[in-house]
Amino acid sequence: MERVSQIELDETDHAIIALLRADGRLPFRSIARELGLTEATVRSRVRRLEESRTMRVVAVTDIEAAGFGMLLAIGVQVESRSPEEVARELAAVPEVFSVNVVVGAQDIEILMVAEDQVALHRLLHERIAAMPGVRRLTPALAVNVLKNQPDWVPFDRGASA
Amino acid sequence: MTRRRLDDIDRQIVARLSEDARISNRQIATDLGVTEGTVRARVKRMEEERQIRITAVTNIDRFRNGALAYIWIEVERSHQVQAVARALSAIGELGFVGEMLGRSDLLAITMVRSNEHLAEFVHQRISSIPGVRRTESTLGVNFVKHDYRMARIVS
Repeated sequence: MERVSQIELDETDHAIIALLRADGRLPFRSIARELGLTEATVRSRVRRLEESRTMRVVAVTDIEAAGFGMLLAIGVQVESRSPEEVARELAAVPEVFSVNVVVGAQDIEILMVAEDQVALHRLLHERIAAMPGVRRLTPALAVNVLKNQPDWVPFDRGASA
Repeated sequence: MTRRRLDDIDRQIVARLSEDARISNRQIATDLGVTEGTVRARVKRMEEERQIRITAVTNIDRFRNGALAYIWIEVERSHQVQAVARALSAIGELGFVGEMLGRSDLLAITMVRSNEHLAEFVHQRISSIPGVRRTESTLGVNFVKHDYRMARIVS
């Protein structure tokens, strides 16, 4: 994991991030007009935010449009292996899109998608439950997602799967 | 609500935009060997139909001491699930709100600075919602993976 250079963000940076959060393809000249800046200033600010690995502008795909009909949040209890190791192995599964080592009743919390029930069954029982160290899986199926806008992500631990 | 699935060309366009969405339509068109008009029309359609959302994401490592908290919420009576879910959605600090089957009735995810901050947030903002019976929270200590390319696009 690369170290993040800590740049100081001012109000202008936050304003630019807010506009790009609402519309990631907003032209620089529109941002400039909105904030009363020159286009060159906006361009260099955005470059600085990107180069310091503070912000990225990306396309997020709806999981259903991507072909996944099911979304689950699963608690994982681990035995005779470190949760960190199991978490790294879970992270290698493309359908497992979020992995957190946690403290509480569970050792790891994951978010996972599956195309359908057959695919889910296979993933859970043949892949995840079979991993060394996985003791118990406690799943919950999302039947209605009202909000899903995490604008905080770890940059180096994401799209590599 | 069933959403139309992406076809092969959509997926190739989205793959480029997932790396860097500031890339021009012309560049994508050149790379994929299609016209710029095709790229423009497809991106517009995918956004309008909420198949994709183009947005800025910020690096969690920029937030010192930031940790994800999973808050599981049980309601008094099952018919209150939707009302509680709506109340949760209105809380700006929550990045995820879902009605769930199985472990609990609802899952809410947020970012907190510490255990104390989590306890205070749950006590003041969530336990006070009418219909909430009990909550159980787990605090993340290591955010191992999050694939920002995947989400349920709600609005």
